[in-house]
Amino acid sequence: MAIAAPPLEIMLVEDNAADVRLTLEAFKEARVANRLHVARDGVEAIRMLREPGTATPRPDLILLDLNLPRKDGREVLKEIKQDDALRHIPVVILSTSQADQDILHSYRLGANAFITKPVEIDQFFEAVRSLEQFWLTVAKLTRP
Amino acid sequence: MGSGRSHDAARGAETGPSTPSAPADRLFQLVVESSPNGVVMVDRRGTIVLVNRETERLFGYTRDELVGQSIERLVPERFRDSHPPVRRDFYEHPQARPMGAGRDLFGIHKDGSEIPVEIGLNPIEAEHGLFVLASVIDIRPRQQAEAELRRSNEELERFAYVVSHDLQEPLRTVSSYVQLLSRRYHDRLDADGVEFIDFAVGGVRRMQQLIADLLLFSRVGTRGAPLVPTNLQTAFEGTLASLHAALDESQATVTADRLPMVIADAGQLAQLLTNLLGNALKFRGTEAPRAHVGATRTGRMWTISVQDNGIGIAPEYFERIFVIFQRLHAREEYAGTGVGLAICKKIVERHGGRIWVESTPGQGARFCFTLPAADGVS
Repeated sequence: MAIAAPPLEIMLVEDNAADVRLTLEAFKEARVANRLHVARDGVEAIRMLREPGTATPRPDLILLDLNLPRKDGREVLKEIKQDDALRHIPVVILSTSQADQDILHSYRLGANAFITKPVEIDQFFEAVRSLEQFWLTVAKLTRP
Repeated sequence: MGSGRSHDAARGAETGPSTPSAPADRLFQLVVESSPNGVVMVDRRGTIVLVNRETERLFGYTRDELVGQSIERLVPERFRDSHPPVRRDFYEHPQARPMGAGRDLFGIHKDGSEIPVEIGLNPIEAEHGLFVLASVIDIRPRQQAEAELRRSNEELERFAYVVSHDLQEPLRTVSSYVQLLSRRYHDRLDADGVEFIDFAVGGVRRMQQLIADLLLFSRVGTRGAPLVPTNLQTAFEGTLASLHAALDESQATVTADRLPMVIADAGQLAQLLTNLLGNALKFRGTEAPRAHVGATRTGRMWTISVQDNGIGIAPEYFERIFVIFQRLHAREEYAGTGVGLAICKKIVERHGGRIWVESTPGQGARFCFTLPAADGVS
């Protein structure tokens, strides 16, 4: 099945350097070719989304932390889902929060999935693998 | 002015032992005068006949300004009209009792400020009729101390919550990267390297457990549900269901009396029983664990007991086991963070009860706690 497809463009919005690297490492183990673009806060994320360039193309998938400096993940999510040019991009919330209200609130704002940052790394790598599966089966249909 | 005899008697106490009077009288005066409480004696008409030094201090009047005056002078304006009928009622049924049970009482100072007080009333049968001796306590210092204690407890709970919550984040990073090392470099490490990583991972897991338990502990006070009539039997059955796997695995037998309705937070009740029954399984002896939950009624409270046939506890540890992070065993013997019984104690105390243990080493332990009965009748 392996045909030379363009790499999956992923935007990771995350301020914690350790978590950025961990996510990078997890995607290194992915079967699908991918490129990870990192925004370190909400303002940078919105700018990168609104002004895509060759270095940071418009992503196929957004991984979004909820607690961010300057503009937090909830606001970023809301802006993405209110923007006709961006709303089709699947957004996956990555958060340490397990609080029901955070999860529910994210879905109300239009999040496509919610992943609690796990303590066990195997679980995290597993989550990334299922994200990939999600991409291969569902999200690909929406790819222009 | 007013009843001179009592007035003079009070004076006598002030001026020293030269005043001639019977020794018993004299002693009474001394006791009244030196009482740390404000003492006010009132006759049937509501006229003040005697006050002591503390009353002068408390209300800001000299005794000359009070003796012979109506007691209503010390009652705030807003209660003044309702006071005389209550007073007359007391004379109809004179018996020692606290005044205004369940209500907040106030006196009024000469400068017009209100003073929160507690008042005990005693009828005094004297030669010239019936008097009422009121003992007045200024409760401001106590209220301040209580407010301070409440504030400091809340602060401590908030602190524990924030600390434990914020500690999780860096800990997750340590944990993730140690695990990533193991995942990526396992093949390239020698036996020592693998062991070191295992110790690091073990330490992180333990700290995560400690933090989780500390959070649980801090939530007893901050995240509790209201205390309402709750069926202990239902809570017990729910606990058995949630412990099902552990009970099966250890082949334990748990029995119980018919358990009563109590005033409680159902979630915390389940947590209490889970911790106590969990301990009964954990600290088992050589036989299969057996536990019995009993209930006996004492006045307005139920005493609930959890009796097991485990290893028991030496008397010198009866208090210590309820202190947070206190453990009696090496971690290799019995796992745990030393938070379980501290949580139990905090839950029981939040319900207005107390918890203790009775045990002889090698002959099992019996944990008892009290909870208010739902019917509240003594």
